[in-house]
Amino acid sequence: MDFCLYKLVVIIKYMKVESTFKIKKGLAEMLKGGVIMDVINAEQAVTAEKSGAAAVMALERVPADIRAQGGVARMSSVETIQEIMTSVSIPVMAKSRIGHFVEAQMLEALGIDFIDESEVLTPADEKNHIDKHDIKTPFVNGATNIGEACRRIGEGAAMIRTKGEAGTGNVIEAVKHMRSMTEGINKIVSSDKNQLMALAKEISAPYEVLKEIKKLGKLPVVNFAAGGIATPADAALMMQLGCDGVFVGSGIFKSGDPAERAEAIVIATTNYDNPEKIVEVSKNLGEPMVGINIDDLDEAEKLAKRGW
Amino acid sequence: MTTGILSLQGNFLDHTRSLELIKKDYILIKQKNDLKSIDSLILPGGESTSMIKIQSNNELFKKLKILINDGIPTIGTCAGLILLAKDVVDGETSLGLLDCVVERNAYGRQNESFEGLVNFLDNTQMYCFIRAPKILKTGKKVKNIAFIDEEVVGVQQNNIAAFTFHPELTNDKNYLSWLKYFIEEGKNVRSF
Repeated sequence: MDFCLYKLVVIIKYMKVESTFKIKKGLAEMLKGGVIMDVINAEQAVTAEKSGAAAVMALERVPADIRAQGGVARMSSVETIQEIMTSVSIPVMAKSRIGHFVEAQMLEALGIDFIDESEVLTPADEKNHIDKHDIKTPFVNGATNIGEACRRIGEGAAMIRTKGEAGTGNVIEAVKHMRSMTEGINKIVSSDKNQLMALAKEISAPYEVLKEIKKLGKLPVVNFAAGGIATPADAALMMQLGCDGVFVGSGIFKSGDPAERAEAIVIATTNYDNPEKIVEVSKNLGEPMVGINIDDLDEAEKLAKRGW
Repeated sequence: MTTGILSLQGNFLDHTRSLELIKKDYILIKQKNDLKSIDSLILPGGESTSMIKIQSNNELFKKLKILINDGIPTIGTCAGLILLAKDVVDGETSLGLLDCVVERNAYGRQNESFEGLVNFLDNTQMYCFIRAPKILKTGKKVKNIAFIDEEVVGVQQNNIAAFTFHPELTNDKNYLSWLKYFIEEGKNVRSF
């Protein structure tokens, strides 16, 4: 009996649990109000960190180049990821293909801080996303509407972002997805609890996630904007629409003066409701990335269509 | 009474929830002009490098330093602790008011983040440690107030209290009653 008690005390004294959902979600909470920047090498990562990025996304090619060059886009090389991880002290994210759970397992083994199961890469599974509960590292997933967001949360995503239309420098799709998400949340919150199951059926989403949204009045995880953000004003627009923070992909390192633009976007994200400040940081920024009209894209070129 | 929450980047909105639970007023601090009416201060978690960069243009930290030196109750969590520390291993000292040496991301990367059982003022509670820093050394005036086993994870130096973990993500009764006490009385807490 005495021995048992002693054992119990020892266990309780040392209790530490890793990678609970609270811990996965917790890192996303710490990124709020921040800017996560796409980088392709150590030099860009250091520029991003010095400009005030809250995290970086390690990539082989930015979305604009993936779009221009075509071919199969895969997880970045191990060397690229490791080079970026050792070059900065802020969290480092990396992308796996949709449904490619081995790429995700590799990123987990590499010790990356966050995995983006991303439509920017060529999907590896035309029906299924990764079961994200089994992997220690937290996941962020793109979504175009509330049903998609709920399905990803059901699979274990600890963070959601709008898909937007990556690599276009055109914010219209991100706005559309954010508005659609807000509309969906409002619909769930204003529904009677007896209507939730039918609503879950209608949007093909897990009932439990809907129940949680109704209870909280918002998504149960952090929600960022991504896909087409190219200027400080774009970032502030997404923040005013209710996002928790922003991803900037091609918008920074495809512009005339990346360091200046990166810093300006960071400051505009913090001061999103302060137009004077946004004016101040938008001066002398050099050329923004060249944009693409969404109407000029073929349906097959639209990355937001990927994911199910 | 109004608590100012530094809101440059990070989980500042989670701290507003804690203050709502103990029915305290707060404002979000982004510019030095926001500091006029506050009588206590919270520095949240997030990325310290990001916060230092964002404030560097508007002298916010200079003003904060004066306020904290004047004795307003100040609480730092995670990145907030790093901003307060006098010595940051491989990092930048910013406010430099809390006499301790801290190391950023000292447990490792996100896969090593954990929920751990903390002994804080004779209560035990599971709290989140997210890419957390470690307090390596403390000065004479600093009192250790929270522990995981023998390891110090919370310290207090007069009106400044700081933690390597995130009590605001748990908002347990013990933390909330301490928070209420500290922002009301912390100015007068000169010694133990």
